[in-house]
Amino acid sequence: MNETIVSYLGETLGLNFNWLGTLVIFLIASLILASFLALIGGLGTYAERKISADIQMRYGPNRVGPYGILQFLADGVKMLLKEDCIPRESDKFIFKLAPILCFAGVLASLAVLPLSSGFILSDLNVGIFYLLGVTSVVGVGIFLGGYSSNSKWAMLGGMRGASQIISYEVPVTLTILSVVMIAGGLSLNTLVGGQGAYPNGWYLFHNPFSFIGFFIYFIGSLAETNRAPFDLPEAESELVSGYHTEFSGMRFAFFALSEYIEVFVLCAIAAALFLGGYNVPFRLGGDGLLGQLFQLVVFFAKSFLLYYVVIWVRWTLPRMRVDHLMVLCWKYLTPIALFNLVGTAIWMYCFNGRSMYMILKHFLMASGQ
Amino acid sequence: MFLVIIFSLSAFLAVAGALSVTFSKNLIHACVYLLFSLVGVAGLYLTLGAEFVAATQLVVYVGGVVVLLLFAIMLTGGTNLHHVTSRFGLESTPLMGNLRTYLMGVVTAVLLVVVLCNVLQGSMTGALVSENKFSSTVEQIGVKLLTDHILAFEISSVLLLGALVGAAIIARPHRSSESEN
Repeated sequence: MNETIVSYLGETLGLNFNWLGTLVIFLIASLILASFLALIGGLGTYAERKISADIQMRYGPNRVGPYGILQFLADGVKMLLKEDCIPRESDKFIFKLAPILCFAGVLASLAVLPLSSGFILSDLNVGIFYLLGVTSVVGVGIFLGGYSSNSKWAMLGGMRGASQIISYEVPVTLTILSVVMIAGGLSLNTLVGGQGAYPNGWYLFHNPFSFIGFFIYFIGSLAETNRAPFDLPEAESELVSGYHTEFSGMRFAFFALSEYIEVFVLCAIAAALFLGGYNVPFRLGGDGLLGQLFQLVVFFAKSFLLYYVVIWVRWTLPRMRVDHLMVLCWKYLTPIALFNLVGTAIWMYCFNGRSMYMILKHFLMASGQ
Repeated sequence: MFLVIIFSLSAFLAVAGALSVTFSKNLIHACVYLLFSLVGVAGLYLTLGAEFVAATQLVVYVGGVVVLLLFAIMLTGGTNLHHVTSRFGLESTPLMGNLRTYLMGVVTAVLLVVVLCNVLQGSMTGALVSENKFSSTVEQIGVKLLTDHILAFEISSVLLLGALVGAAIIARPHRSSESEN
């Protein structure tokens, strides 16, 4: 287990970095990760359009580049060239700050993303807890964006966004807590390392409670990222475009991009917590560079699968009503999450932390004799 | 050196944010500056090797308290220098940055300094920054919380239960007036 990317590189290459080397490596690694995730965010917009087109039997973007894959670059250039409008009666300071807060919160969460056992920027001891903390900055950004626009639509969208994000943090946090209880640690390498490479070793199938917990986490993270069927903050049929109604050009692009990256981050965390993370089957993963590559491929495959499901859900299900949203969170998800928490604790106590598969194997072997 | 850079950045963020909160004339702006100050304080905890406290600072203050403050300010009417009433037609709260707020700030600062000096008197003589490597504080905090400080833990849980029950009572629909839902 490596604490940071720097310690991994130091071990693999046999070097010892001083503080300047550490700083430079951190900066380069952060730059690579941020650019790569921005690319994923950009491709996310393309994937969204293409998949939605597929679901609705249309073609989708097909003009720019082969299969229209460069559409997101064209969009980016268009966004950069747009006029930067700031409403006259808006709160200018906060209006300029809100997209940056959103983006900063999402980028800060990349620090603990366990892409592979070596490529994790910093494996904090409190990794998953830190992640919960910094993603809540996004909620502040959305709220301030809605407030500063001085528009009723944006105001309502921002209020909905803030209340929704705060509410859904409760079941998500409780579910993560039950997973933490199984793994016995908050650091993401501990959480991923406690799982096996095959589905029988995943926390998804560890016990019945974590199986339910996965779906609670997934629904909660859909709501936290304002994705359909919970995209009430930007409900275009009621509030023109929600909290980013008044934002134009690159400021709007920051909101959109941070949303797509956050969806990816939460899918990646779901893959890391429940679906075995970067554990590669057939013992192909390892500390060597090739092993790391396999780990990266497996991790991204799992995350993109969940990403696809998120987009699929968006174009299949209709939007919920505001009061139904809150009812779902407080009357269904939160009690189920609490039940899961207690149930996991009882399971860990009764079966000494063994998974369903291990108990079944033990039982079958005992009955075979 | 790495720690020194992080410390300087966090300390600057914390102090500059706190000063901006005091001198800002707009309540919402003050709230945003407070956000920066709190993030700076989280960074300070991090340089001291207290990761759990830093993360808790982020979760509780940035995610909870600042959003709560923003909601409270917005629902009671944000301030705008040019209007007596807020943009939503609500009567605005008193402006920041007049004699009264400065007086309050000074009194609070003096009180805090006195209390802090008394508390920190013992530790002032030793080394201020611990030299030990980062070690996990989560387990230690958990064990302490459930053994030595179990009474405080239980009392705070009763407090939270009371708050939850109160919220449920306030939010309860009135059954007598209408029977829908």
